[in-house]
Amino acid sequence: MIRDSISAGPMSPEAILAAADGLDPALFEPAAFDASAGERGGYSNYSYWRSTARGFLKNKVALFFLVLLVALLAFTFVQPLLPGQKSPTKIHIDPATGMQYRNVEPCAEFWFGTNTIGQDLWARIWSGTRTSLMIGLIVGAVEMIVGIGFGAIWGYVRRLDGVITEIYNVLNNIPTTIVLMLLSYILRPSFKTMVIAMCATGWLGLARFVRNQIVIIRDREYNLASRCLGTPTRRIILKNLLPYLVSVIMLQTALSIPGTIGWEVFLTYIGLGLPVSIPSLGNLVNEGRQIMMSPELRYQLLFPTVVLSMITISFYVLGNAFSDASDPRNHV
Amino acid sequence: MSGERETVLELRDLEVSFKVKGGGVFKAVRGVSFSIYKGETFGLVGESGSGKTSIGRAIVRINGASSGSILYKGREISGRISKELDREVVRKIQMIFQDPMASLNERAKVDYIVSEGLYNIGVKRTEEERRAMVAKALLEVGLLPEFASRFPHEFSGGQRQRIGIARALIMEPELVVADEPISALDVSIRAQVLNLLSAIQKAKGLTYLFIAHDLSVVRFITDRIAVINKGEIVELAETEELFRNPLHPYTRALISAIPQPDPLVERKKVVTVYDPKCHDYSTDKPQWTDVGGGHFVLANAKEADAYRERIASGR
Amino acid sequence: MANGEAILEARGLVIKFNLRGRALTAIRGASLDLYEGETLAIVGESGSGKSVLTKSLVGMLDRNGWVDSGSAMFEGRDLAKIKDERDWLGVRGKKISMVFQDPMTALNPLLTIGAQIREVFELHHGLSGKKADYAVIEMLERVGIDNPEERRRQYPHEFSGGMRQRVVIAIAVACKPRILICDEPTTALDVTIQAQILGLIKALQRDLSFTTVYITHDLGVVANVADRVAVMYAGRIVETGLAEEVFYDSRHPYTWALLSSLPQLGVKGKPLYSISGTPPNLFNEIRGDAFAPRNPKALKVDFVAEPPEFAVSPTHRASTWLLDPRAPRIEPPPAILAMRAKLGGSSSGAAGGRL
Repeated sequence: MIRDSISAGPMSPEAILAAADGLDPALFEPAAFDASAGERGGYSNYSYWRSTARGFLKNKVALFFLVLLVALLAFTFVQPLLPGQKSPTKIHIDPATGMQYRNVEPCAEFWFGTNTIGQDLWARIWSGTRTSLMIGLIVGAVEMIVGIGFGAIWGYVRRLDGVITEIYNVLNNIPTTIVLMLLSYILRPSFKTMVIAMCATGWLGLARFVRNQIVIIRDREYNLASRCLGTPTRRIILKNLLPYLVSVIMLQTALSIPGTIGWEVFLTYIGLGLPVSIPSLGNLVNEGRQIMMSPELRYQLLFPTVVLSMITISFYVLGNAFSDASDPRNHV
Repeated sequence: MSGERETVLELRDLEVSFKVKGGGVFKAVRGVSFSIYKGETFGLVGESGSGKTSIGRAIVRINGASSGSILYKGREISGRISKELDREVVRKIQMIFQDPMASLNERAKVDYIVSEGLYNIGVKRTEEERRAMVAKALLEVGLLPEFASRFPHEFSGGQRQRIGIARALIMEPELVVADEPISALDVSIRAQVLNLLSAIQKAKGLTYLFIAHDLSVVRFITDRIAVINKGEIVELAETEELFRNPLHPYTRALISAIPQPDPLVERKKVVTVYDPKCHDYSTDKPQWTDVGGGHFVLANAKEADAYRERIASGR
Repeated sequence: MANGEAILEARGLVIKFNLRGRALTAIRGASLDLYEGETLAIVGESGSGKSVLTKSLVGMLDRNGWVDSGSAMFEGRDLAKIKDERDWLGVRGKKISMVFQDPMTALNPLLTIGAQIREVFELHHGLSGKKADYAVIEMLERVGIDNPEERRRQYPHEFSGGMRQRVVIAIAVACKPRILICDEPTTALDVTIQAQILGLIKALQRDLSFTTVYITHDLGVVANVADRVAVMYAGRIVETGLAEEVFYDSRHPYTWALLSSLPQLGVKGKPLYSISGTPPNLFNEIRGDAFAPRNPKALKVDFVAEPPEFAVSPTHRASTWLLDPRAPRIEPPPAILAMRAKLGGSSSGAAGGRL
């Protein structure tokens, strides 16, 4: 709406205008000026974590797997406390015949059936999942701490970069399989051995990853500013660099857990895994594999494989979903 | 004018080089010398790639100097120095950065950002005292103390730049290196920040090294200007003298290119282009020459005579 | 200069964005005319919406943005109503072209510049083979790149900033558009290169007869190139007029503030005139004049009702209550008075004006 501003004349256009738009002529006086009101203009309602949460919750598939994984994990640890659960190592004997309950298919007594020597598969699977998960989580945690710490120093301290890169190249070229096999062989298969062996090989990848990310952000102005203010390296890494790497670190860690379980399965397959007395997903898959050619016994392979798959897929999906959600470039 | 003044910073033949991929070295700064006196605003003007930022960063010890020296109140601060001297440099010389969007830690609260330097100086301070200092610093730059609990992304460019200034000032420095502090800001915000810098300088007796590429801004705020081209200083003079009698062809080209917010002037404007080939330095090498009144030019003997002529006839 | 015909008419454009679940109104009712052969400069700062406005004219709004209401008539079509990407293909890059601020991100680092310019000729003019090559070489010559035969086989990273911007301009004008929109084309360039690029665009405009729209916050650039100027603040156009009118006889307090805060106009030793505060939050509904909270000369009505457009002259309009006959005389800042004096005193009696 354009109006011509016409000079005051005998017709008093002010009155006409006042009648037209209903504005009180008294409003046309200077207003009091509050400088700080302009300052509060306020700019953005963006919150990093809130945007991350929104992004994650929007992903229905991720939510499904989150629920699945949480349920799985919870059940794994609650299962022994439920009434009527059997021991995973006890060999069950049929009181009538005195024979072991071998290869019984899933029924009311044994929900997942029994294995070749009469042990309850239901209990074995949950116990095995517990063991494998423990290994995965412990190794994941150690990898994260060692990998991040090492990678951060490697990436940030320029002087060490050359030396450490050479060390990395050497270490990286040693096949993981060989290291794991050697360590398992030397230290004798046990829970502790598995953990030590996996930790020894797993941290390198994360360290490299963290180092690359840090090289990208270490010369950004806010880090230069921190150096100018005299902030020590330790605090620059903790407060300036790592918070930016949350997205990528969580992804790598989430993917390492199923990876660790996978290695455990492999080692068991070649006979260097956990002893048979400690059930683990690796053991169970291995046992199942040996008899999978008989169709009526396939359930012994099926159940541990399904559980293993659920865990693996869940971690992959969740890791990716969280990583995407926490990447600020995806925040609208 | 320059006689009895205390020299806060002196650069002697400073050189800064960077390694280039594939071997070789790029000399960003090639033998730069000048002094900055207490209480003045010294402008360093050049285009991108001239080396001005490298000089600023070498002074606050973010980059290393490859040769030459930087003297703070007579003490060498380039190269390896003792821990206490380093701590003193951190306290006494601070920097304001160019890009308000990149110079604040997005994941930290304004409270931490502003007081970050305080944690490094190591003076014992209670939480109360620290918070009071942060509030005071924010007020000094025209921000509200309640901003301390917020994150940088909640603020506009001008406000973020002021947070950066508060962060530098809370250290109570004597020399502030301002590296293009307003280039990345909106036009109307630049005036705010310039006024702020001026006011703070008067109130606290600070000395500024003001690095910029915009001569019109520099004219307004500086006492003396050095013009730098491809790593070498080509001219140095008091501000008004530089605009009155620009001698070096590069300076003249820069001045002719200053945008004027005046259509009649702009449309008639003729921009002179600087061609390095206009100098003949084959036999007569250029020297840093004093042409009188605190005005220095990089020129060989022949050019120096011509310049002195020009000044004499101009007056 | 303009020949009087409007080739683009935008009326009452309202553009919104969906940001984190909330709606942000980036453009709150903008109307603009673009005349054949002229150079229009849209001036504004961050948050003014100047880039959003022009992006909407080429269908390049971010995915979470949409044109809520209003129209933009161009060659008989309403650009504001185009929804399908395919419909934009006939307009974008062909009739209306854009040049962006950062030439490095505008160019594909993996293709030679010759290939990138060639693409335009192949797509829009159906040229191929030798004919396309000649067209590419001729275009490179036009934009002032030496040795076009050789250089067309080079990659973007082998060019300097100014050269890259020339290549981007070549790509933009290769299809002989009717309108060329330049979004801060010289902000990333040094001052000496800036003059060259502006000169280049002017020469091309003359030779190829198109209309240019500049989006910038640099008033020096505006003074250099613009026939007409539109000043934007918080999603609205607050003042439009011929360049001389907006510079020497500005009427809106924001334009006053913008012009007076330039260091070129400052007096050493005295503080520069500056605007306090920050632009408003566009998530919130704005009541009255958006500039009011930062305007020391605001009237009470500025906080109550949005000012309509007032005509200062047939070509000069401003949306401020100060132009209403009921408003008191308010003195603009000294820098503005000095600008008016440059025009030789004829300003305060400009046709229809009161202040």
